[in-house]
Amino acid sequence: MKKQTVFSIGRFVLLAFYVLAAVFPLYWIVVTSLKGPKEIYTMPLQYLPTSATLDSYRKLFSFSSFSLYFRNSLVVALISSLLAMAVSILSGFSLSRYPRQRTKGILQLALYFTQTIPTFLIMVPIFTMFSKLGWVDSTAALMLVYVATVIAFSTIMSKGFFDRIPVSLEEAAKIDGCSMFQSLFHVVLPITRPGMAAIFCFAFINIWNELFLAVMLLMSNDKMTVPVALNSFISKAGISWDVMSAGIVIALLPTMIVFGFGQKYIVAGLTEGSVKG
Amino acid sequence: MMERKFYRWMLVPALLFLTAFIYYPVLRGTVMAFQNYNLFDLNQLKFNGFDNFKAVMSDPHIRFAQILLNTAVWLFGSLFFQFVLGFGLALLLKKPFAGRGIYTAFVFYGWALSGFAIGLTWAWLFNGQFGLVNDMLMRIGLLSQPIGFLSNPNLAMISVIIPNIWYGVPFFGIMLLAALQSVPNELYEAATLDGAGAIRKFTSVTVPYVKPTIVSTILLRTMWIVNFPDIIYAMTNGGPVNRTNILATQMINKVFKEYDYGQGSAIGLIIMILLFAYAMLYLRLTEKGGDNL
Repeated sequence: MKKQTVFSIGRFVLLAFYVLAAVFPLYWIVVTSLKGPKEIYTMPLQYLPTSATLDSYRKLFSFSSFSLYFRNSLVVALISSLLAMAVSILSGFSLSRYPRQRTKGILQLALYFTQTIPTFLIMVPIFTMFSKLGWVDSTAALMLVYVATVIAFSTIMSKGFFDRIPVSLEEAAKIDGCSMFQSLFHVVLPITRPGMAAIFCFAFINIWNELFLAVMLLMSNDKMTVPVALNSFISKAGISWDVMSAGIVIALLPTMIVFGFGQKYIVAGLTEGSVKG
Repeated sequence: MMERKFYRWMLVPALLFLTAFIYYPVLRGTVMAFQNYNLFDLNQLKFNGFDNFKAVMSDPHIRFAQILLNTAVWLFGSLFFQFVLGFGLALLLKKPFAGRGIYTAFVFYGWALSGFAIGLTWAWLFNGQFGLVNDMLMRIGLLSQPIGFLSNPNLAMISVIIPNIWYGVPFFGIMLLAALQSVPNELYEAATLDGAGAIRKFTSVTVPYVKPTIVSTILLRTMWIVNFPDIIYAMTNGGPVNRTNILATQMINKVFKEYDYGQGSAIGLIIMILLFAYAMLYLRLTEKGGDNL
């Protein structure tokens, strides 16, 4: 009995340590964004802001076109994630039901291979390819690249979800006169909705956070995404942390919200994609 | 017959995306690594054999051995603590408790955040004048005046590895927790009947059962850490005096600062070959370990 109590107290202490460590950096950047520049640059630091103000956010939105960058990021991430989801529904389903084992194995290997490729090795060739096509500085072209960067893992995830649906369901639908397409959309997809949500969340998070491809492929100021804008705030003279902290908070919020809502599905999707070969 | 055709067509969109924007660029990048591809000198484009690799490896300003060493320290320093702390977290979360669902959201959310924004956040925490870490150390009397964590050559690497550990623990936590929860309870019951204690159960039931997950997660994470310059780029961009310069940041500098795409691609190819060799060796070693169990 006594040993048990010691254990549960120890467990509680450790759990408290983990959550404090996990939350504190975020707490600090939020607090910084709510202080004025005067308080930010005065030691010793105030751990709670003495007077919270939204001045940093006002500055951020008036001195830069941050609302535009935010909208750009949102458009890019939403459209490419939806596209990635649609494409990987098809490819995942096909891979899950593919009749020939050998082809299936080769395809899967080709998908896993993409996970070992450094973004930087494909970044430059994509840039030179786009220069020839006149696609540099095009948001649409960037979205196509983003779909490609997530599609391999999305397909692996989606295949995992379809593997769990018994083929007998489609066979029954077929007997009832459904075409393959109809049985996928009316019979199989409705049951795999959580899986599709996971694919969308995963794609959205990865695309929202991407920096280097966007830096390389976008040129004009009015097309910048949020990470590119944050990158442009870093000047030789140093960073002004009041505006920067506000920008960071806004960069972090959307994926946190997506994770908050989709956690259950994302966790299932991640483990589906990587644990099972 | 109809069906097979149908399945084939469904794969076309995904394969088009991958071919156009992943497989073709990889091939093109591999070719570029053997060309003198400099944006300022495109008229002189030609194959130059291994010149790019030689140039990268014998750069007078940046010793290649140092970059390799930095990459190894960055990788293993991050990986070891990500794994140990992530495994610890998963073990703590295995048994249900009131509020576990919400609790996991607060310890796992870091996985979803932007690595670049996280790097900036930690750059602020480690700020040499007004950083929180300095303030805390001064309050408890360990420091009398602030120190430049990111500008001190001896502290810079640790200061970029800590955020990377922070960033990577959730992934290990998520993966290992899922694996731990899949261990059948009967195995523990059987072990109890055989008189196994808590430690014995851990080493003879838990560890062997989750080993495949550990192996694959560590491999995935290795590739990811080596190819992940975002945090370093945000905090030190390889400095001071190249103390945090890893292969990935060096490649970014070659591309973004020097516009030397040939040498940049050569570094990219070196990363890929090293990772491939590592994966082969790793899988062989872990398979052997599996036979011994």
